[in-house]
Amino acid sequence: MSEKTTHLKVKNLEKMYPNGVKALKGLSVDVYKGEFLAVIGLSGSGKSTFLRCVNRLNDPTGGEIIFEDQDIASLSGSGVRKIRGDIAMIFQKFNLVGRHTVLSNVLMGSLSRTGFFRSVMGFYKEEDKEKAVEYLKLVGLAEKTHVRADELSGGQQQRVAIARALMQQPKILLADEPVASLDPALCHTVMDYLKEINKSLGITVLCNLHHLDLVKEYSDRAIALKDGEKVFEGSPAEINDEWFKQIYGEEARRVQ
Amino acid sequence: MQINFKRSLINTVLFAYTLAAVYFLTGYFMGTLPSKEHFLDIDKIKVGSLLFLVMGFVLDCGSNWSSLKTIGDQLFSKKIEFVKTASNVFWKLHIYLVLILTIIASIIVVEFSFMDLFDEYGFQGAVRLFKGIFSPNFEILPRALHAIVETIYIAFLATFIAVPIAFFFSFVGAKNVMTHPVAFAVYMTLRTFLNIVRSVEPLIWAIIFSVWVGIGPFAGMLALMLHSVASLTKQYSEIVECIDDGPVEGVKATGAGILQTIAFGIVPQIVLPYISFTIYRWDINVRMATVIGLVGGGGIGTMLIQYQGQAMWREVGCIVVVIAVVVWVLDTGSAYIREAIK
Repeated sequence: MSEKTTHLKVKNLEKMYPNGVKALKGLSVDVYKGEFLAVIGLSGSGKSTFLRCVNRLNDPTGGEIIFEDQDIASLSGSGVRKIRGDIAMIFQKFNLVGRHTVLSNVLMGSLSRTGFFRSVMGFYKEEDKEKAVEYLKLVGLAEKTHVRADELSGGQQQRVAIARALMQQPKILLADEPVASLDPALCHTVMDYLKEINKSLGITVLCNLHHLDLVKEYSDRAIALKDGEKVFEGSPAEINDEWFKQIYGEEARRVQ
Repeated sequence: MQINFKRSLINTVLFAYTLAAVYFLTGYFMGTLPSKEHFLDIDKIKVGSLLFLVMGFVLDCGSNWSSLKTIGDQLFSKKIEFVKTASNVFWKLHIYLVLILTIIASIIVVEFSFMDLFDEYGFQGAVRLFKGIFSPNFEILPRALHAIVETIYIAFLATFIAVPIAFFFSFVGAKNVMTHPVAFAVYMTLRTFLNIVRSVEPLIWAIIFSVWVGIGPFAGMLALMLHSVASLTKQYSEIVECIDDGPVEGVKATGAGILQTIAFGIVPQIVLPYISFTIYRWDINVRMATVIGLVGGGGIGTMLIQYQGQAMWREVGCIVVVIAVVVWVLDTGSAYIREAIK
């Protein structure tokens, strides 16, 4: 990346759950425009909470998230919904609506700009319908357009979820463990699509990952969280055995 | 042993019950019980109950002091004893005693009597009744059919009106939708209100409405409708509470509004169970409409009670046949549909 402009500025982000667990303890990080940022750390280190705070599926209890001169952390109601339109998310469990068709699921990406009655009656705009088909082609599922979403395999469902996210025309894509429930052999197809979106469409990607191999292969930059605090920030290539032990603890061993 | 409120409460009540049962049964068999009027005096009832409870409490304290293992200990104390001594099986003996006393007392209260069951005169009456029912008088069939159609429509309209109301209430009555503190207060109010409505039998509602709007099918429909709203809301909202959060979050994350989130995230997950419960409710309502007719809710029930009142058993037989056929058809049909859409 030749020049870095900050796309998302996270300052002292804190999240305490009602049961008193502090998932984030003052996290600060700059996310640059167009980069593929990997977030790593153990389960419970706060990386899911971090991503879910960015699109306000979780409400932060302190700090700021500056995006386009707006503090996401202090938005409410319609402001939150508007920001979610700009910041798409894909999930570990895909979170598709199983009983709806693949096409209908992808069209749900345009809900934020479609009125309630139009969307419920299925009167999406023609251009949106064309776009949906186009994105399904992009993720290689054109022939599955009218199949029910729950009839697809895990990898295919995640690709539908990517198409749904693209349908939002997002500026940022959050990916919360996108390949953790997939067969390891299928990981790369999904990761490849994410990478392609990142590079060809220029969408900033924030991706939680378990596997260090995937981090090294796909991300431009990585941050590591431990107990809600940032313990590493830099290039994935810098994560040597020493860093590894610091991030994952003394007892951890690298899986080859 | 530490003081435990639940343990003491259950012990006190059970000891009091045991003592009272022994007192009354002994009195009953010895013939030394005072007259019935004696027991209808509210002051004597108060004093008597208090007396037994105090004695129960004394026994509870005694058992606690002597470290007898009582039912309360077994239920509410964490301590586990492996030694099988007499004091450790006391709670079992106590349960047997309570059970035996209750069985004896209930036989006396019910006035259970083989004599009445096989009494010759009574038996002949039953034979006469069954003879009538088993040789139905099909001359009244047209009127019976007319009445059963009325009953089916009562049930249908009651269900039809109840469904949209219950559909709306089901979201308000679902804990996972009403998370906001204010919303939770609304949720609690609605649940409490509907629980009260549901705990009043449709039969009672029918009596209330037949005074309100007059005897007839309209009263029956209102009674069933009210009961259906309460029951369906409970069943519907339990479905809403069991849904998978994933799709809801998936839809929410696209920036969808609240109504869109419900329409796309929740509704697709609940629509089939809703249909299933609705058909089942209509099925139940047809059967209930018959019973409600007995107290003036219109339809076949009203017709049945008229002939029954005049002891016209052959006509009653015809009505019973009509009811049985319709209920059987609806039962089978609704089970078949519910199986098909699963």
